[in-house]
Amino acid sequence: MSGNIRGFGYLENLPPITFRRLYQQPATALAIFRRMLPSLAKVIVTTLLYNDVPVQLGDLEALVRPESYREREDAFSKLRRLHIINETDHTISLDPVFRTNFRLALTGGGDHHSFGVPCPPSDKKSKITIPFLDEYAQRKFEAILHYMVGTHNDTKPGSGVISLLVSSGLMERQGTGTQAIITKNGFSFLLQEGNAQIWALLIQYLDTAEELGMEKTDVLHFLLMLGSLELGQAYSVNTLTVTQRAMLADLRDYGIVYQRKAASDRFYPTRLATTLTSEAGGLRSASATIAAAMGDKDAFSDAGKGFVIVETNYRIYAYTNSPLQIAVLNLFVRLTTRFPNLVSGRISRQSIQEAIKMGITADQIIDYLSVHAHPQMRKNLVVLPPTVVDQIRLWQIEGERMKATGGFLFKDFTTTQDFEDVAKYAEELGVLRWKSTTKRCMFVTRHEQIADWLKRRAAGAGKK
Amino acid sequence: MPRAVKGVLVECDPSIKAIILKIDEDFHHAFIVEDLDHQTLVVKESKLAELKERLEKILEKTQMMEKEEESDPEQPG
Repeated sequence: MSGNIRGFGYLENLPPITFRRLYQQPATALAIFRRMLPSLAKVIVTTLLYNDVPVQLGDLEALVRPESYREREDAFSKLRRLHIINETDHTISLDPVFRTNFRLALTGGGDHHSFGVPCPPSDKKSKITIPFLDEYAQRKFEAILHYMVGTHNDTKPGSGVISLLVSSGLMERQGTGTQAIITKNGFSFLLQEGNAQIWALLIQYLDTAEELGMEKTDVLHFLLMLGSLELGQAYSVNTLTVTQRAMLADLRDYGIVYQRKAASDRFYPTRLATTLTSEAGGLRSASATIAAAMGDKDAFSDAGKGFVIVETNYRIYAYTNSPLQIAVLNLFVRLTTRFPNLVSGRISRQSIQEAIKMGITADQIIDYLSVHAHPQMRKNLVVLPPTVVDQIRLWQIEGERMKATGGFLFKDFTTTQDFEDVAKYAEELGVLRWKSTTKRCMFVTRHEQIADWLKRRAAGAGKK
Repeated sequence: MPRAVKGVLVECDPSIKAIILKIDEDFHHAFIVEDLDHQTLVVKESKLAELKERLEKILEKTQMMEKEEESDPEQPG
């Protein structure tokens, strides 16, 4: 994940009080369980779910093989950060609010309406089919991407979307009233996969919503709920809160929900909504998701299929006429010729280094090329020519005279033993980047787990 | 109790590090948090971009990059 674009993981940093409020809705508890927890953490949650008394920490740890120490610590740390578990002296239990509502989500019951209230099919002839919704979602979302790269498109995104793009730093205005232009962050945004793009926009939306006086938890409830709705089903607007109704208008602009009229009493989630909290991965891009679901029915599915051929001599042929795809390719390929259904060009040291200057990483370029590789290329064991892949990486390294890693420097340990213990723990977690025993300081990429560990150890020592 | 300081770990060649030290000195030590060893140091996160820029400028003066091969061997002319 690159630069300053915040993705779904950003939610982890919400304050505890927000989490407690989020867990009051079964749909949200389920969505967080589904999307944010690693498998081992899921095992732990399900183990604890129907235990009404706290469980000994040792018993839970016995579930995990000793050599998977790292995964276990990772799972526990995640659960702690999401405030799903409560710990007292060597025992562990699920947060009561989370437990109650997660049970409700799994087994049903209650009148919380948190999974939306389906509407009966309208008496008017129902024209809202799944293909229609897919087409709508794709048109709306691609309009945003098209707008970012500055290509002309029939549908222009709403002004709300544009100001969101500007406030998120994906685009910027040189002066007031001028046309917004894409920024470095915007370019790396374009190369991300669809689900990450949508979340990046929604997280930004969350921030601006708060400035507009909307309740943050309300907004999040709604977003996470959307992930558990059924595609093609109409849902009633009546059970939504005032904030959530106001959101519908904005979400319509992103192509996440569809409403026939602004005043309509029902809304339809699109595929972009229903895949929001699907387990990560498998969603290439908004259009690919949709195309995969629609099969080979019409022209739209072309967008999702691979279309790029990369040759060992650094030539690139892309079977596309989409201005968006051409614009994205143009970020790192020197395009030379354009035919009605094909563009061709070359990647060179210069074109790659220009892309890197714009904030795009070699890995993003390689990912993009392999995800969009032409079916003919997929017949090979290695999709992209290794020479090209290696060279792109080398070109990136060439430009980097220093390697920078963000993180935290731990220093002023009282004893060497202390230092060694922490260093060992950090190494097991895989966050240690640099250490020096003589200086008694170390550099780690993440500090939360270590700070936790130090605190718990200090507390343990205090009691003894 | 140990202390944690936020920062960016910079790993580079000793020659580059020497330049970074010089930049830091010229700007009243505004960049470096901790000098770790001959090819590692920790700098302030907010100053990283500026440091990179200054480093690039100095290197531009001292190093010559070879000319970019612009011609495409398979497309004469």
